[in-house]
Amino acid sequence: MPELVAPLFQRAVVALNGGPSDARIVRLAAEQASRSKGELIAVHVVEIDWTLPLDADIAGRSDEAQRVLDMAEGIAESVKVRMEPVLLQARDVGAAIVDETTERGADLLVVGVPYRTRFGGEFAIGRTIPYILQNTPCAVWVVREPMPEEVA
Amino acid sequence: MIGGRRPLQGRKPGDRRVRVERPHAAFFRYTGPNEMTAKEAASIPTTPGQRLLARIRGIVLGRPLASEEELGERLSKRKALAIFSSDAISSSAYATEEILRAFLLAGAALAAFSFALPVSIAIAVLLGIVAFSYRQVCIAYPNGGGSYSVSKENFGRLASLIAASALLIDYNLTVAVSTSSAVEQIASAVPALAPISVAIAVTAIGLITIGNLRGLREAGNIFAVPTYLFLFSALLMIGIGLYRIIVLGDTRAPSPEAIASATRTTEAVGALILLRAFASGAVALTGTEAIATGVPAFKPPESKNAAATLMVMAGVLGVLFVGITFLATSFGVVPIEEPVKQTVISQVAGIVFGGDSIGFYLFQAFTALLLFLAANTSFAAFPRLVAVLANDGFFPRQFSLRGDRLAFSAGIVALGLLAASLVVIFGGDTHALIPLYAVGVFIDFTIAQAGMVRHWYRERPPGWRARIAINAVGCAATGVVAVVVTTIKFLDGAYLVILLIPILVATMLFIRREYNAQEKELHVRDDIVIEGPHREQRVVVPVNGIDRAVIQAVNFGRTMSPDIRAVFVTDDPDEGDALRRRWERQLPTVPLVIVESPYRAVISPFIAYLDVLDQAWPPDKDAPITVVVVPEFVARHWWDRLLYNRTARRLKAALLGREHTVVADVPYRRQH
Repeated sequence: MPELVAPLFQRAVVALNGGPSDARIVRLAAEQASRSKGELIAVHVVEIDWTLPLDADIAGRSDEAQRVLDMAEGIAESVKVRMEPVLLQARDVGAAIVDETTERGADLLVVGVPYRTRFGGEFAIGRTIPYILQNTPCAVWVVREPMPEEVA
Repeated sequence: MIGGRRPLQGRKPGDRRVRVERPHAAFFRYTGPNEMTAKEAASIPTTPGQRLLARIRGIVLGRPLASEEELGERLSKRKALAIFSSDAISSSAYATEEILRAFLLAGAALAAFSFALPVSIAIAVLLGIVAFSYRQVCIAYPNGGGSYSVSKENFGRLASLIAASALLIDYNLTVAVSTSSAVEQIASAVPALAPISVAIAVTAIGLITIGNLRGLREAGNIFAVPTYLFLFSALLMIGIGLYRIIVLGDTRAPSPEAIASATRTTEAVGALILLRAFASGAVALTGTEAIATGVPAFKPPESKNAAATLMVMAGVLGVLFVGITFLATSFGVVPIEEPVKQTVISQVAGIVFGGDSIGFYLFQAFTALLLFLAANTSFAAFPRLVAVLANDGFFPRQFSLRGDRLAFSAGIVALGLLAASLVVIFGGDTHALIPLYAVGVFIDFTIAQAGMVRHWYRERPPGWRARIAINAVGCAATGVVAVVVTTIKFLDGAYLVILLIPILVATMLFIRREYNAQEKELHVRDDIVIEGPHREQRVVVPVNGIDRAVIQAVNFGRTMSPDIRAVFVTDDPDEGDALRRRWERQLPTVPLVIVESPYRAVISPFIAYLDVLDQAWPPDKDAPITVVVVPEFVARHWWDRLLYNRTARRLKAALLGREHTVVADVPYRRQH
């Protein structure tokens, strides 16, 4: 019989995409961390296309990228959990998240996924989540946004 | 790392990533585009001296609180009852005695036992009316300010300022009287402490000030216990006393001394004596208005919680006051002065608990402690009232700002200082202070109730006629008490309060006029687009030679205007010539003006030169802005600051307030 209680963690990476699910997953992870005295690392990746050098001064100048991480830090602080915000630039978001999670020795990765459909038809999970699920060595929690009312 | 970006290898060759440093993160938090909030680290002082001060402040007052923690600092009803009611509840410890004393002084000791209870019931009814009135104030005026807000809306500025002044004076007196009286209690128990009673009172005020500067919630934690200890022990005393009187029939005759002192019969007691007794006992009402002043200090829903707390307070105070009066009259207790002073409440406690019992001593200790902390109500209400006045422009604006712990620090400190000064001036003598006390609060009650009459008449909600009737009765009753209290105490010191009220009102009107004038002066119409600067600028750099600091200042001045000149004031023409030769060689594009000063002054000739420049400006053109760029050498240590920049400082002081003049400091920091 598998254990029904959610696994506690020592260190979790929370991947933020700047969407509405960010606040939800940060709160979820922070509340868990508060119980298990774990630490959180919030990662936001700004994708750099191939027309620019990888170390172009993009994310550092983006108020929006900073706001995403600052918002996460604010939520963590409100539940008195320590969070380290990390801002990355990469060609591929999925690979950057997996590599950062691996290097940090995290035992949990929490990602949010928006509810999107392909041309108004079936749910489209995109390519980042499958990559993360296939390559991340630790446990992964995927939190999907609720369906919009008209779809539900 | 290059430019705050650290390249990192991925697991696969194509998966490189770059970690971007976030230098703002330690100090600020982005909340939107071009919007950020400062973190605690941004407020940490930068110099070692300031850091040390901040650390000491942190130890004494606690860590600074963020504005968003304000809701957490709000008071629950339980804590608010303790904070805002300690003054009112403590008055139950002496209000009965005041009534009995009024009869005794009139030679009507026997009448005291017949009339004290009805008088106390009448006062309790008045308390109910006043409390009901302020309950409505809490609901109708949720931003606090109590009678000030009521009278402002219903009678206008002058009446509201009279109400506010009366209250401000009374809050100060409450602190001074209650601490002096508590110290007197201590000194009568330990006579050796009598010579330092003023110092003890001032220290106590200092401690209460610090307690309040730590924030409302902590003040609640500190001060709640004594209030509740007194409350429960007094209720216990009344309960036991009632049992003994009603069930066991334990009533006692007045003492022979009291009977002997009586010069009038009960039938001969006139209306004036009853009125005096009523006015004396009405001190029990002081502090009732405090909750209405501090509505925003309550947890949401603020008005509802404040109103509920006020009614509980009035109920508790009424029960304690009437209960203690009933016990005192049933046990035939009168205040005893000789050979040892015995208060009425201590005699009642002695009879109920037993004169030598632990219960009696505990009750006495709780009473003394509560009298000390009665001052705390003023510390909760005064700063809030002053903050409301400051928001309306009648007090300096810093009184409306919250300190590190979200308390209105300026108001708290001002109250502490003023009350301590009163204690020192009056030598900690309660009897000297008492005549000034309670005058203001009844003037305030009367204005507030009259305001509520007008409020109901204007608003006309369901049941408005009954509400008007209640407030009108209250207004008349508190008005009578105000007149009686002022008349009786006038020559003993109440005249000071009557004099102080118009002085305070005039001061507040003066402050408001100043702020209005400033606002008018600085006002910018909001329907115009602001163009670039249209006035010309010229730069004047006072120099004392050529050095790095001077060069830095001159170069800074060059960025502001092509019209730049250096001015050298000297009493030595040879030195001037030498500087000119060097200046023309090294700074040929910046004119140097040498002002010879045979009287050896430096500052005045420099300012006279600026005046001459102004006068030489074509009168048909707008006067230019003169930017005086002052080169300054920044010392590394506090002690070598004494060695440098004395002239620069004097010059800046002399230029302060000069028309069309801007002073720019250009600091040169010492490298080694």
